[in-house]
Amino acid sequence: MAAQTLVLPGEAIPSDILPIPSNPSLALKLGPGLRHVPPSTITSVLAGSLCIDQKKNSIWVENNSGRYIPQPNDLVLAIVHHSSTDWYHCAITPHTTLAQLPQLAFEGATKKTRPQLNSGSLIYARVLSASKHTDPELACCNPSTGKSEGMGELKGGMVFDVSLGMARRLLLARQREEGGLVVLEEIAEKVAFEVAVGRNGKVWVKSGGVKETLLVGRALQETDREGLGVEEQGRLVKKLLRGI
Amino acid sequence: MPREAEPSINDRAFLLQALQENIRLDGRALDAYRHLDISFGDDYGVADVRLGKTRVLTRISASITAPRPDRKFDGIFTITTELSPLASPAFESGRQSDLETHLSRILETSLRRSQALSTESLCLVAGQKVWALRADIHVLDYDGGLIDACCLSTLTALRHYRIPDASVKGGDLTVYTPVERDPVPLALLHHPVCVTLNFFESGEKWLVDATLMEQQCSEGEIVVAANPQGEVCLVQKGGGGEVDALVLLRCVEVAMGKVRELGKAMDGALAKDAKRRDKGGMSRELRAENER
Repeated sequence: MAAQTLVLPGEAIPSDILPIPSNPSLALKLGPGLRHVPPSTITSVLAGSLCIDQKKNSIWVENNSGRYIPQPNDLVLAIVHHSSTDWYHCAITPHTTLAQLPQLAFEGATKKTRPQLNSGSLIYARVLSASKHTDPELACCNPSTGKSEGMGELKGGMVFDVSLGMARRLLLARQREEGGLVVLEEIAEKVAFEVAVGRNGKVWVKSGGVKETLLVGRALQETDREGLGVEEQGRLVKKLLRGI
Repeated sequence: MPREAEPSINDRAFLLQALQENIRLDGRALDAYRHLDISFGDDYGVADVRLGKTRVLTRISASITAPRPDRKFDGIFTITTELSPLASPAFESGRQSDLETHLSRILETSLRRSQALSTESLCLVAGQKVWALRADIHVLDYDGGLIDACCLSTLTALRHYRIPDASVKGGDLTVYTPVERDPVPLALLHHPVCVTLNFFESGEKWLVDATLMEQQCSEGEIVVAANPQGEVCLVQKGGGGEVDALVLLRCVEVAMGKVRELGKAMDGALAKDAKRRDKGGMSRELRAENER
């Protein structure tokens, strides 16, 4: 993450910090929190830090608030609410309508070998389609390859709520460099655990015992709540590990 | 379509497993309250209680009306609760849910019917004019412990409220503005506080001040309202699951300890606020530039 630029709502983004496209005909991509005012002004509509991706020629505002709105390709943790003949109806957040998960959208599922999920089961799924006017659709396998890629029903463990910004940071490929997060790496040196991060602000953690699972969850929640830096995260993890 | 966030099977199993090992998800002891924070508004009678993530704001207001014909000497005291969708996606505005009914019944019994507020003291002219006192409870955020927070918030607001002073001379009623005469505190006879305990493992284990998730996983709950002097005003058991009589007695005993704890926190907050308002103290009152 380069030097952070903080923006406030209504602030105009100076044109000299906009990404320079490799090809002049390439259009600039505006992400969440930015608005184009013709002819050539870009203003922010959110308060947060300005993020710029030179390679993708895109610019957006990262902030840590708001409710989750499903977007295609997001990985989410959902709870099965009820099932009908061909679908599971799953709750992604309590605010939005139920998402639909086809019963055959699992790895190797056929009409005879479909997974049986009860109401209340936890699933890790990808959002296939989402729009304002229809219910979001989920899938637990990659539609092109049919492989599960880690998605499906999650057994055991516990789900912890984190903010949406934290969930996005946790999903970054390089957490330490881009997101400034080392908390999971630090814990992993001492305790073995599994995590699944949902873009809807939920993190599933499973470890050997109750104490270990809670340690990971609490470390994540505290890092999120207090906005801890890299060094502070290390100190927090050391403090928590002493309790075990 | 908003609805209550139900915990998944995994969460439920994990919570119960942790409880078997005497661990709560937020690291509290089984009989510990969450962090309690009581603050007040600029006006008298506005109390904002935060219990962990639960937040309740109560406002007391008073107006003058005619008394009920069958109760000529009693003022009117009403408690209204407002569970808005702001607090939880499960709350709908405009429709009274079961939770709201349950909440208002408990508040009614613990605060109104236990005669915490002497309604006779609200009488101005017998049979003609009385104070109608109104407590508006707004739930701003909801993470369990609603009854405890609402009861505490209402009582704190009542203790904080100052009602305009009034006098009757020859049948004429005069209500004084705060400038003319300092408003007076309400006549509260005792201070009942609610404590909720939730049961697990077929009544073997109980928790004080459950969070929303613990509440959803529990088998039953018991609400105890008592005052710090040790007088029980209400015991209500709900949620199914049976509880042993001895466990119930033990629960009331534990609740009593918690009531004292909460009472102390309330006293502390009120004293702190009184100190904040009393800038300068007596010396300011006696100064020459004071108008009065």
